[in-house]
Amino acid sequence: MSRWRGLLDVLRLFLSGRRGRLFLGAVLAAVTVLAGVALLGLSGWFITGTALAGAGAAIAHSFDVFRPSAGIRFLALTRTAARYGERLATHDATLALLAALRERLFRGYAGSGAGRSLLARPSRLLFRLTAEVDALDNLYLRVLVPGVAALVTALATGYGLGLLDGRLGLGLLLALLLPGLGLPIALARAAERMARRRASALEALRARGIDVVAGQADLLMAGRLGAQVAAAMAAEQRLARADDELNRMETTATVGFSVSGTLILTAALVAAAGLVEASTISVPQAALVLLVAMAALEPFAALRRGALELGRTALAARRLAPALEGERRPPRVDVPPGGKALCLREVTFRHPSAAEPLFAGLSLDVACGERVALIGPSGAGKSTLLALLQGEAAPQSGEVAAARRAVLGQRTELFQDNLRGNLLLANPQADDARLWRALEEAQLAEVVRALPQGLDTPLGEGGAGLSGGQRRRLALARMLLRDAPLWLLDEPTEGLDAANAKAILTWIKARPRGIAIFAVTHLRREAEIADRLLRLEEGRLVAGWRRGEPGFDAALAALRPD
Amino acid sequence: MSRPPRPPEPPALAAAAPALHRAGLLQAAAALLWVPQAALLALAVARLARGEGMAGVLVPAALLGLAGLLRAALDAMGGRMAFRAARSALAGLRHDALRALAARSPLDAGRPASGLAAAALAEQAEAVLPYLLRYRPARLRAVLVPLVLLLAVVTQSWMAALILLFAAPLIPLSMALVGLRAKEASEAQMLEVGGMNALLLDRLRGLPTIRAFDAVEATAGRLRAAAEALRGRTMAVLRIAFLSSAALELFSALGVAMVAVYVGFHLLGMLPFGTWSGWLGLGPALFVLLLAPAFFDPLRDLAAAWHDRAAGEAALEALARLAAAPTLALPGAGVDPDPSTAATPPLALAVSALVFRHGAAARPVLDGFAMQVAAGERVALFGPSGCGKSTLLALLAGLALPESGSIALGEVALTAESAAVLRGRIAWVGQQPHVFAASLRDNVRLGRAGLDAAAPIARLLPAHDPARRVGEGGLGLSGGETLRLALARAIAAPTVGVILADEPTAHLDRATAADATEALLAAAAGRTLVVATHDPVLAARMDRIVRMPA
Repeated sequence: MSRWRGLLDVLRLFLSGRRGRLFLGAVLAAVTVLAGVALLGLSGWFITGTALAGAGAAIAHSFDVFRPSAGIRFLALTRTAARYGERLATHDATLALLAALRERLFRGYAGSGAGRSLLARPSRLLFRLTAEVDALDNLYLRVLVPGVAALVTALATGYGLGLLDGRLGLGLLLALLLPGLGLPIALARAAERMARRRASALEALRARGIDVVAGQADLLMAGRLGAQVAAAMAAEQRLARADDELNRMETTATVGFSVSGTLILTAALVAAAGLVEASTISVPQAALVLLVAMAALEPFAALRRGALELGRTALAARRLAPALEGERRPPRVDVPPGGKALCLREVTFRHPSAAEPLFAGLSLDVACGERVALIGPSGAGKSTLLALLQGEAAPQSGEVAAARRAVLGQRTELFQDNLRGNLLLANPQADDARLWRALEEAQLAEVVRALPQGLDTPLGEGGAGLSGGQRRRLALARMLLRDAPLWLLDEPTEGLDAANAKAILTWIKARPRGIAIFAVTHLRREAEIADRLLRLEEGRLVAGWRRGEPGFDAALAALRPD
Repeated sequence: MSRPPRPPEPPALAAAAPALHRAGLLQAAAALLWVPQAALLALAVARLARGEGMAGVLVPAALLGLAGLLRAALDAMGGRMAFRAARSALAGLRHDALRALAARSPLDAGRPASGLAAAALAEQAEAVLPYLLRYRPARLRAVLVPLVLLLAVVTQSWMAALILLFAAPLIPLSMALVGLRAKEASEAQMLEVGGMNALLLDRLRGLPTIRAFDAVEATAGRLRAAAEALRGRTMAVLRIAFLSSAALELFSALGVAMVAVYVGFHLLGMLPFGTWSGWLGLGPALFVLLLAPAFFDPLRDLAAAWHDRAAGEAALEALARLAAAPTLALPGAGVDPDPSTAATPPLALAVSALVFRHGAAARPVLDGFAMQVAAGERVALFGPSGCGKSTLLALLAGLALPESGSIALGEVALTAESAAVLRGRIAWVGQQPHVFAASLRDNVRLGRAGLDAAAPIARLLPAHDPARRVGEGGLGLSGGETLRLALARAIAAPTVGVILADEPTAHLDRATAADATEALLAAAAGRTLVVATHDPVLAARMDRIVRMPA
């Protein structure tokens, strides 16, 4: 039963907070269903009673009509109000659950190991992550809430009819629970494999659709575009088959509910007739029994959809489980000895997938205030070195130490937030005056001041809304706010045109000398800001030149102009 | 309810309509079987009241059971029939969208982004099924079932029918509200879920930055706060949306309650009007009572399916956008040419009086361009960005047809008819070669039968295992390696007589660029090579430089 185990973890997570709200939703759902059943039962009893009373005119006036009719109106209103409350409560609880879940996931992935593997994933898998978060709400909304409502109904109606006749109540309870729980459980088990197959077919359709569009030219020139369209349609056919199987199962379950309902009703009719014959119950009570029996299985049928998707939910729970299992600490990067901005000692690092270590005994020092550019062909290990310095990767042996640092990457990581939020990331304590000073210094204040919403201007995904140069300047302002003695630059002007790149680099060059700069680059314009060049090849530092030394200018000249 | 005019239904949907309608009728018939069932129940209770005991109940009970089984069978048949029709409609819609996407020229500016197209095709399209399976039949039932039930009630009591009629008009009224509000609500909910997902992904993608700023704690808090704020906003919308659907519930519940109370008071003689026969009696009274909730059920179902309608129509629109005719068609789209393995000699290229413009742009990007390339010649198209080098290369590759002018490869003119076959003789090394999520070998072979991928991989990517998996977006491959992969793809087919390369050394460092140039030249041996570039080093290595006017 390991495939369902993930569900228990998620359930525990759900129940660990906001238990009251979750509970309220389920209780209101039960009240709604019960009020509906009671409304029907009471109406049947009332009408049968009045008919019998009306037939014998003498007792017609002694029949109390007001209490039952008030009860009918009360139940009608209760049902409406409870239904409204239930929908609000369950939606509110679901949204709150998903909010908590997302926060928890973020914290989970922020632990270094998981986070790094997550980033190495293609966007398809990132997309899957969100689909999985969404799949989890099935558990509460379509399993727990209707489940509780149906169980409460079964117990309450069983008890209620049990007051008339014990055998009748017990019989109804069993007749409700057997198909009511049995069918959804059987459905969930039968559909589990197909629900997983369905999820994977949908992913395949999505991935192949992406290939048709993004790989169109490549496929076309190979004469294989038609074949790729056919492959996407094959995924769609797989999806259709899974859909069809699931629909067949669902239909079977529906028929099962329908037939069970009919049998319960027929049996209730015969049983009620027997009890009336034996004078155990009156005829109005028999009408009540019939109408209650008619409605009491209905809430169980609501479990079908949840049961159908439970396999998918369990899969999602299992996949998310590692990230939900509590927080991991990211590896700490040590503080370097005095006078140094960063320091690597005999570092050995091997990528998990590689056979050979990338770095074997790599050592490197950068003094406080020094400006160093690391150059070398792609694949030499420049980015990995930066990852080590940031604690994004941990060496297998050796020591990595770096001072408090600010990072400017190839892609400027700006977030969907307003300008202020993006700046505050670097320094949550900074007030607006401080933010403006940083913007001023990064030469972006004028641009921001011209925006109608100023610091409150929202930025789209990846900083959409600002030009490439402005985005880089915003990142610079953020670095200033960070107030760090070490700047790590990773191809900081990649993708910028010459004029913008020059402006940014001139600005960096003009920073006070107290800040150490460690830049990774293959462009001449970026390496020119350094006082020392280091050449990395296949994980080894093969050469180094200081400004003024012979070879420094030649090494610069060998880099790519642009 | 007034609706904005809708575009005509796509053919795949129209084809499914008759079957869906028949299935809807079957399910409506199943719902109407409740009328005899209610009559049998009422009869049985009336007989009990008359003191007939068990003997009087057995026949109605048996018939009741039979009717129930029939009802279940009809409903299941209708459901399956509807499902099959709807599912094949969805397959048709997806197929049309995929074909249309494949028939667009890669130069078409209106081409959707791959992620958006795939989302519309895969996840969003899923909403078509509930729309066809829940909303459409619910609409049919909402028209049919209450009407028949009302007629059945009228046969017993015009007053009860009047009460139902009185409650019913209030329902369309609240439905209108529900319609408006539910649309808002479902949009708000989609926005909510989409917004929260986007936010989480956005922060996860930027995780290194967040960690570099030691801002994990603050970001987690912000994420939570944003999600809670979105929750608050969504709940504000839902509170109103649910209120209007609660009005629907209220009217239906009060309708039933009023019928029950009226009938009860009538039976006691306090409301002696409203029937055809004077006094209703127990059987007819119960019959009327049992029909009352069933009268409102279809309307409630329709309201519940309203969300399916909004999502379904949005999905249909998105699919229709994908399936729309392209603004710039791909010549020779639709079928893959027969794979040929006959080696092609280097081909000559002749271009004359070529005119091409992007979309409805005023100024053509190519205006009367002409060029001759001899068989086996290596030519650089040299010029600043925006001069039309890449466009020219795409036209040479048969990825779009020019507005006017002609292109010939060897002896064959490039036309819509010949494009598919000619493309088989051309290799294309684009600016961003697509790396498929598959092994290196499969990435080179691209499913072309009888192709040897091992030799080109050994030549161009000697350090790599052909079985190594490379991911979407070039995971694990550097820029230089991706270019080499594209070259391996290009030379793997012996049929290739021309290699067209678009800015192959852009974004590469100097050593890698030099290395890539050598690989390109080696790959072009025995073939014609045309390279679009603004890299003077690369251009200098060609036999001839054609300068493009800015």
